[in-house]
Amino acid sequence: MRKRDRLEVIFDILTIIRDRHNSIKPTPLLRTSNLSSSSFNEYYAEILKKGFIQEVIDKKGKKYLSLTDKGFTYLEKYTYILGFIREFEL
Amino acid sequence: MPPPPLFFNPALFITELAFTLIAVIFCILIYFRTKGIYDLSKYKGIKYFRHAFLFLGLSYILRFLLSILMLSMMTLDLRPRMIMPFFILITGYFSTAGILYLVLSSVWKKVKALPLNIIIHGTALILSIAAFATRSHLILLYLQTALLVIAVILNIIMHKKLSRMRIIYYLIFFLWLINLWIIDRRRLPFEINIVFQLVSLIVFYFIYRKISKFTP
Repeated sequence: MRKRDRLEVIFDILTIIRDRHNSIKPTPLLRTSNLSSSSFNEYYAEILKKGFIQEVIDKKGKKYLSLTDKGFTYLEKYTYILGFIREFEL
Repeated sequence: MPPPPLFFNPALFITELAFTLIAVIFCILIYFRTKGIYDLSKYKGIKYFRHAFLFLGLSYILRFLLSILMLSMMTLDLRPRMIMPFFILITGYFSTAGILYLVLSSVWKKVKALPLNIIIHGTALILSIAAFATRSHLILLYLQTALLVIAVILNIIMHKKLSRMRIIYYLIFFLWLINLWIIDRRRLPFEINIVFQLVSLIVFYFIYRKISKFTP
């Protein structure tokens, strides 16, 4: 199986969140992301730090993740970013 | 018969100024139009690519100032010999960094274990100090030509062939060397200089057009 690169993994994680009505708990996200726990934690910290996702705590104190505007922009621009990297062989 | 010096030939001066302005504008546009996708991706290849055009833009500004300085020494007897080496130093540093960023933007994955920023700025510093010490932009030209030859050989060893985009990167490198070589306006006829400058602008425009497709 082909190893996904960093940009693709981030795209996949954000797509999962978006496709779950923009609200998912961290554990199901880890399960569906096909990443090891340590890799997931790394990516989770990265996308949180970059402001692609935000943590939302509901009334019962449960943590949900949802995309920010920047996260939606990333999904929107992902094909451009990928196209740019391929076109200029970066 | 060589053309009259830059200061005494408005057509020559305007051509040189227009070339510099257009080249710098393209470099700046390329740098800023790719800001959005870099901010989102933080992808190293895009970072090196953007740095390359930022440094190249600065190099073309300095090249223009250097040409004015050189001609003022020849034509107006101004004696700016004290500041001339400093211009060569800065031009050498920015241009070497720019062309190395451009070359490395497409091969960084193969050499990512190396401290690339230290290599780029270290090489730029060594080359520019060598040119500064000899007070000659031609030394810089020879050293950068050697760098181009090494870069092409390494690329062929690593990739077995030169792809179309890499050829364009090396063409930008080569055109910079030509533009540096013709700086004092005595080496080639005016018409040939114009051809090289036009080709340089066409290459910058080609890159800019390609970028525009991905940065709507």
